[in-house]
Amino acid sequence: MAQQRPDRRMDPYAAEFWEFTRAGEFRLQRCTACSKFRWPAAPVCDECLSESYEWALASGAGTVLSWVTFHRRYFSEYPPPHQVVTIELDEGPIFVTTPVDLDNRGLADGMRMELAWQEATDRHGDYQLPVFRPSTTA
Amino acid sequence: MTRAPDLERLRSLRNTAAIVGVGDTDYAADYRTEGGDAAAKGGGAVDSYTLAARAFKRALDDAGLNKSEIDGLCAGGPIAHERLSETLGINPGWGISGDAPRCLIEAVQAINAGLCTTVALVYGNAQRSMNTQYGGAQASGGESILSYVYYAPWGMTSQGALYAMMFKRHQLVYGTTEEQLAAVSIAFRKHASLNPNAVMQTPISREEYLQARYIVEPLRLYDYCLVNDGGVALIVRRADLAREGKQTPVNITGFGWSELNVDATQLRPRLKQFYYPAHHAVAAQVFGMAGVGPKDIDVYATYDSFSVHLLFGLEGFGFCGEGEVGAFIQDGRIEIGGELPCNTSGGMLSESYMQSWNHQVELVRQLRGGLGSRQVEGAATGQYVHDVAGKCLSLIYTKGA
Repeated sequence: MAQQRPDRRMDPYAAEFWEFTRAGEFRLQRCTACSKFRWPAAPVCDECLSESYEWALASGAGTVLSWVTFHRRYFSEYPPPHQVVTIELDEGPIFVTTPVDLDNRGLADGMRMELAWQEATDRHGDYQLPVFRPSTTA
Repeated sequence: MTRAPDLERLRSLRNTAAIVGVGDTDYAADYRTEGGDAAAKGGGAVDSYTLAARAFKRALDDAGLNKSEIDGLCAGGPIAHERLSETLGINPGWGISGDAPRCLIEAVQAINAGLCTTVALVYGNAQRSMNTQYGGAQASGGESILSYVYYAPWGMTSQGALYAMMFKRHQLVYGTTEEQLAAVSIAFRKHASLNPNAVMQTPISREEYLQARYIVEPLRLYDYCLVNDGGVALIVRRADLAREGKQTPVNITGFGWSELNVDATQLRPRLKQFYYPAHHAVAAQVFGMAGVGPKDIDVYATYDSFSVHLLFGLEGFGFCGEGEVGAFIQDGRIEIGGELPCNTSGGMLSESYMQSWNHQVELVRQLRGGLGSRQVEGAATGQYVHDVAGKCLSLIYTKGA
């Protein structure tokens, strides 16, 4: 069942990113002029200012850079304690996300993580939230 | 873009303007009123403009000036200079709205351009009365800094959480500990205990710091600034006019400005660089313009919405090596009487959350002298370091004649 999540910040480029998640596709904008990946979704390439891009399928793999644990409640949808982790994707961008399926493992610097999905909904509609779990492949 | 500073042009502005008047509101008394806001005091209506006007009046009195002599106006906080101008009954020759270091730096330039001679910089913020939110669904600031709002779907919100993420990375890279971080909040609170206008004046021990609840781990309650109502005002004058005034002028001797906005939303400059490149660029400007270095700074102030701001700035500006700040801030070094007294009013953690406007007032007061037990002995050179999400600015002040 889709879980209620705090509203996504929507703009025409973010809308495209989120639309792909409905099909379980984790795609990042890649400049078709200079090949640079970018995140968050943005109007032009910040390297070469080209407006042309493609939504390239990302590997969904990355390494842990840092994390925090919320003990204060800011959103009704996220009762504390809850963790947020920053992951450096293999494609380059750093992705802020929720760690899942940690079981009894703690997060660690450089830990390999992989993409998972959570059914989610907000005022913009149903979508899938990209979250990350410890890597199941070597 | 990083390039060598144009020190010739910067130095041409050195000591061309000075702060001749300061004023602030009754932070402590206003906080203690019912509801903790300035509105309850006296029972009348109060908003951010009221607080700004109160501080402005005090700064004028402090400077010994009449408001008819004010020909430039800067507004800080959730107020606009056009409305402030109307409220105060001033038609300025130049005006902007912005944060404290931006307004100070641009006031010096406006004075040098001949647009004005005497600028009032006035801040007012009834943030406690207005219940301003710095996290959650109503978080402010997302228009200019997207990371404040973009990650809400994952439950990531608040500037404090972003600084907690940054400090955690510093812990992982350099081994900095929460026990070491405690020294910041303890020092600033100790300073506040010497400041009768500080909102929080009761000293805290290391045990109390460590036993306090986490807000966003690894940051605890005492790592977070206050949210209170208040106003601050500064009067900046052209140097030749400043010398004729009632107060010992405090010269604006150096300044610098550098921002790291590329990849800011994905937190790259925050987590990969701790904003050091911005610090380095600003250090070259501000120290080069003022003709001093870290060893010459008698009193230091930093933006401190969170305790950890101090750590990154001290490393980036060369007061200690990268990764060494955890050890550097121990043993009273950052306390009054120590080698580098920091945030001597108590800062935003313990005096008042005036978004660094109060820090400028405190540096002026320290350089004028006569603060009693809070006085940094022989203070002649003070530095302010501003680093908000990679937007780094700094000012160096010196005691005038």
